[in-house]
Amino acid sequence: MENANANDSRIRARDAATRMLNRITAGVAFGAIAGIGLVGAVSAYTIPGVVSSTQGATAGASTSSGSTSSSALQSSATSVSSSSGSGITVSGGS
Amino acid sequence: MNNTALWYTTRGAGAVSLVLLSAVVVLGVLSTLRFESTSWPRFLTTGLHRNIALTAVVFLALHIVTAVVDPFTHLGWLAAVVPFSSYYRTFWLGLGTIAFELLLAITATSLVRGLIGHAAWRAIHWLAYASWPVAVIHGFGTGTDTWSGWMLVIDLFCILAVSLAVGTRLLVQSPDPLADDRARFRERVSRKVTK
Repeated sequence: MENANANDSRIRARDAATRMLNRITAGVAFGAIAGIGLVGAVSAYTIPGVVSSTQGATAGASTSSGSTSSSALQSSATSVSSSSGSGITVSGGS
Repeated sequence: MNNTALWYTTRGAGAVSLVLLSAVVVLGVLSTLRFESTSWPRFLTTGLHRNIALTAVVFLALHIVTAVVDPFTHLGWLAAVVPFSSYYRTFWLGLGTIAFELLLAITATSLVRGLIGHAAWRAIHWLAYASWPVAVIHGFGTGTDTWSGWMLVIDLFCILAVSLAVGTRLLVQSPDPLADDRARFRERVSRKVTK
C-alpha cells in the first residue's frame, strides 16, 4: 500500500514537471518571437537605415561634405548608400 | 516584406538566437552538474536544454534565411553553407557559418545519439564550447547593433551567464551517479583478492 502511494506521488510529480516543461518551452518560443519583434523595433529605432532628407536628395549614393547637413542614407532607387556625416552602417549586415 | 524589414528581422533573430544559445549552454552545464531540487527535477533541465536547443536552431535558421534573401547584401546560399565564401565581410560571416554548422552537428548527433553511441556523441557535444564563443565573436564582428547600449547589455548578460556556468563546471566536479556502486564493487573485489 505504501509502495503504491509512493508511486502515485512520483507519477504526479513527474506529470507536473512535464507540464512545467511544456509551459516553459512554449513560453520561451513565444518569448523568442516577441523578442524578434522587440529587438527589431529597438534596432529600427536606434539604427534605422533610413534617415529622412531635409534637402530633398534624390540620388541613391549621396554624400554630404558639410557636417551639419543630412542626406538620404538609403534611397528607394538603389540600396547602396552612404553618408560622410553620420558614420553608421545604413543597411545590410546582420 | 521589404528589404528594411528583412534587415530588422535578421538583427532581431540574431540577438534572440544569441540569448537562446546562451541559455542552452547554461542548461547543458546544469544538467552535467546534475542540478535538481524538490520543485525542479533533473529531467526538467535536460528537457529544457533539448527543447531550447531545437528552438535556437529554428531562430538561427530564420536569422540566416533573412540575411541571405536580403537583396542588399546578395550573400547567396553558398555563403550560408561554406565558411569564408562570402564576398561580404568574409571573415565575420565565415565565423557565423562555422558556429551554425557546429550547432547543426551537435543537434543532429543528439537526435541519433542511440545510433552513434555515448562516447562519440559526447565528443561531438564538446563542440558546443567552441560554437558559442565563435557565434559571439561573429556577432561582435558583423552585428550592426553590437555597439548599441541595449545590445551590449544583452551581450554582457549572455557572456556573464555562460562564464559563470562554465566556471562552475570547471570548479565543481560532476557527481558520479554510480559512485556508490563502484565503491561497493571495489570493496568486494579487494576482499576477494585479500582472501
